[in-house]
Amino acid sequence: MQKQPITPKGIINNYGATFAFIIAIIFFSFASQGFFSGQNLQNILVQSTSLGICAFGLTFVLITGEIDLSYGGVIGLVGAVLAGMLKDGHSIGLVTVVCLAIGLGTGLLNAILIVVLNLPSFLASVAVMFICMGAERIYNQGVTTWIRDPSVLSIVQGSVGPVPLPVLYLFALFFICWFLQTQTKAGQYVRALGENISAVKEVGIRASLLKSGVFVFAGLIFAFAGYIEILRIGGAVMYAGSHLLLSVLAACFLGTATFKAGKANFPGTLIGAFFLYTLLSGFTALGMKFYLVPFAQGLILIISVAISSARRGKIEQVQF
Amino acid sequence: MGGQENIVIRTEQVSKSFPGVRALKELDFEVTRGEVHALCGENGAGKSTLMKIIVREYVEDEGNIFIEGHNVEGLGIRGVQELGLSIIHQELNLIPMLTVAQNICLGREPVNWIGKIDWKSMRKMAEEFLSEVTSEIDVENFVENLSISEQQLVAIARSLVTSPRILILDEPTARLDQKSSDSFFSFIERAKQKDLTVVYISHRLEEIYRICDRVTVLRDGKKIITEQINELPQTELVKYMLGREITQQVPKESVPIGEVKLSVKDLFPKEKGANINFDLKSGEILGIVGSIGAGKSEVARAIFGADPKKKGTISVAGKEVKINTPQDAIREGLALIPEERRDQGLVGNESVRKNMTMAALKKKFCVGPSWIQKDKEIEAVETSIRTLRIATPGTEQEVQFLSGGTQQKVVVAKWLMSDSSIYIFDEPTKGIDVGGKYDIYKLIVDLARQGAGIIFISNELMEVLSLCDRVLVMFNGQIIKGLETVATNREELLFYVMGGRDYAETANNSKGYH
Ligand SMILES: Nc1ncnc2c1ncn2[C@@H]1O[C@H](COP(=O)(O)OP(=O)(O)OP(=O)(O)O)[C@@H](O)[C@H]1O
Ligand SMILES: [Mg+2]
Repeated sequence: MQKQPITPKGIINNYGATFAFIIAIIFFSFASQGFFSGQNLQNILVQSTSLGICAFGLTFVLITGEIDLSYGGVIGLVGAVLAGMLKDGHSIGLVTVVCLAIGLGTGLLNAILIVVLNLPSFLASVAVMFICMGAERIYNQGVTTWIRDPSVLSIVQGSVGPVPLPVLYLFALFFICWFLQTQTKAGQYVRALGENISAVKEVGIRASLLKSGVFVFAGLIFAFAGYIEILRIGGAVMYAGSHLLLSVLAACFLGTATFKAGKANFPGTLIGAFFLYTLLSGFTALGMKFYLVPFAQGLILIISVAISSARRGKIEQVQF
Repeated sequence: MGGQENIVIRTEQVSKSFPGVRALKELDFEVTRGEVHALCGENGAGKSTLMKIIVREYVEDEGNIFIEGHNVEGLGIRGVQELGLSIIHQELNLIPMLTVAQNICLGREPVNWIGKIDWKSMRKMAEEFLSEVTSEIDVENFVENLSISEQQLVAIARSLVTSPRILILDEPTARLDQKSSDSFFSFIERAKQKDLTVVYISHRLEEIYRICDRVTVLRDGKKIITEQINELPQTELVKYMLGREITQQVPKESVPIGEVKLSVKDLFPKEKGANINFDLKSGEILGIVGSIGAGKSEVARAIFGADPKKKGTISVAGKEVKINTPQDAIREGLALIPEERRDQGLVGNESVRKNMTMAALKKKFCVGPSWIQKDKEIEAVETSIRTLRIATPGTEQEVQFLSGGTQQKVVVAKWLMSDSSIYIFDEPTKGIDVGGKYDIYKLIVDLARQGAGIIFISNELMEVLSLCDRVLVMFNGQIIKGLETVATNREELLFYVMGGRDYAETANNSKGYH
């Protein structure tokens, strides 16, 4: 009847990836001169923003027990439209609204396919991703468009005091998401929905509406992530989203290995995003050949997820 | 009882079909204010379906439903809740990773002005409703840490949150142990005094006679009769339910007891329990009883390798064996029929056939490495469906669409096919109808006659007393008593279940467990 006792094993199960993260930082700090400098740590923070933001959207969806990979296309489409419209001389206000509208639209499309038409979320969202990639290609004809207006770039490249703006956005959004999910009714229901949908329906909560809401909200977040990513780079590279596709997924799954064993959660995702870029930057600082970096990343992902699925494994073993 | 205004639930000619099944046929059903109305019938008779239609989770194909005189057509789940109706489902619909308080208040969380959940008043609200049924559960605890029995109490508390005037209880006691049932029944008594109307579904006849005023019997989706309970003898009630008579409660016969089959020495299950020692002989049916959290299932799961053990040795037929996983156990000829069928025994979206033959597939239905002999498989499944009277439209129906008790029968059938030599039954008759219980007892006795050793874990003391040869009483993780069933009675068992130490200085005490 008591809460779970705190045992060393329990801590590793629940916080496995967090430990791996801390160990990685310590390791890189000793192994490489440049790693533990303020400048480098700030770089890691800034570089992980769009990935982190995008991963928050995905985390929301994962909590409902679904998946949404459409960001792989949405980010690129938003970027292309953003750069293209600015080049055509539209005001940044209007462009921002259009970008968010794209997120809203793709979110709605996902909701219709997955919640209303009951398609499997993996396939449906991958389809939406391809549609967005197609639209991006049609819109920009495959040409990279640069953004040169400094006042626009300062939305992302500026800073408040010592804190770079994107980092501020990241933490603000983190706080909003965390608050929504853990402290409000709707957030509770989203979690409950992913765990046991009949329990939610039984008390009269409109589960489908809620799930649709999550897809739409995630779509908005993806669009915002694209917006930040493109302004941070300073131009819309072709298929910008597909570079993030797997790292965002990895950040979320690293997150499930952090804090709440086996469950997507926002603090976990945040750490997962930092972790990925720490590895990237650490390996680079060590002078590792660029083609070996994904290899090492993959290894570390496997290790930390393995640690924390120990607990889940035990639960699953029940189904003999 | 008075006129129309006293009828709180009324259904007129309600019919409902599922693919391959006509679940309800032109059903008329009435419940009057303030009564406890029992709903009886075999597994798959349509009890849960009727209740789900009344609370608007399902929509009827034909017919009308009135609650407090209102036609419920067009009303949603919330709508009927507002008419004062609340239901506790046969399935435990709780969210394991949320706390007790979060579960109880789900859908009704108190919030402050910015929409943040007010955790403090939520806690108070949860405590208030939980105290109606128990005072022994901490509302801050996570549901996944509770025993099944405790979870059921939480589910009951949750249904009270809407302050219902009509409460539908679909087999609430199937998961409760002796102690929790007692607190549950005193809750029902109090509720009756407050003029709450209760619809009560149960397969336990003694409970129905204890708390109900009237009873309605369903069979194959049709209403057979509605009657005052005290005007209907138990044998009659059973006859209405089954459409046939069963002569004897438990088909007990003496089976010769042979050599020691399973020997458990100094077993310390990891989860709960200490120093478990006992022997099981072939042909013997050994009961294990005990109250909430006494550690019965934990012992079973530790023996079977489903949970790790701290230490202890297990010998099968005199030879020490290593059992670390269920696979090891199955290889040594053990079978465990688990307690919570939905997450432990079945794959919901697979067919009856696949679920049933899962454990025995390789051993019995394969030639060569993995070539399945499908005709043989289907024949065996059909035989099981007949002997256990499993209510399914066919061998290919997905088990998630079967009624609660029917699913349980499928789990039992699965392990009976496995040709094991030691069977551990953990509450096998939970949620199973009177006829089905009888069929399962018969099968267990058959297994014993063929020389299997059987461990029978149950909360129903009467069933243990009449079926088993010996019974072990567990309390707080330990075996505190071993008794021969012929030389004991319900009172003595209950005494030990509650943790008593010395029932009488006379008989049996010196015999020990072996
Ligand atoms: N969602 C569903 N899809 C298909 N068939 C269903 C569904 N729900 C119930 N049935 C079928 O309807 C019939 C009645 O089921 P119901 O659950 O009402 O039985 P029950 O009387 O509650 O039985 P039990 O005592 O086992 O709980 C059964 O044959 C069952 O297989
Ligand atoms: Mg039922």
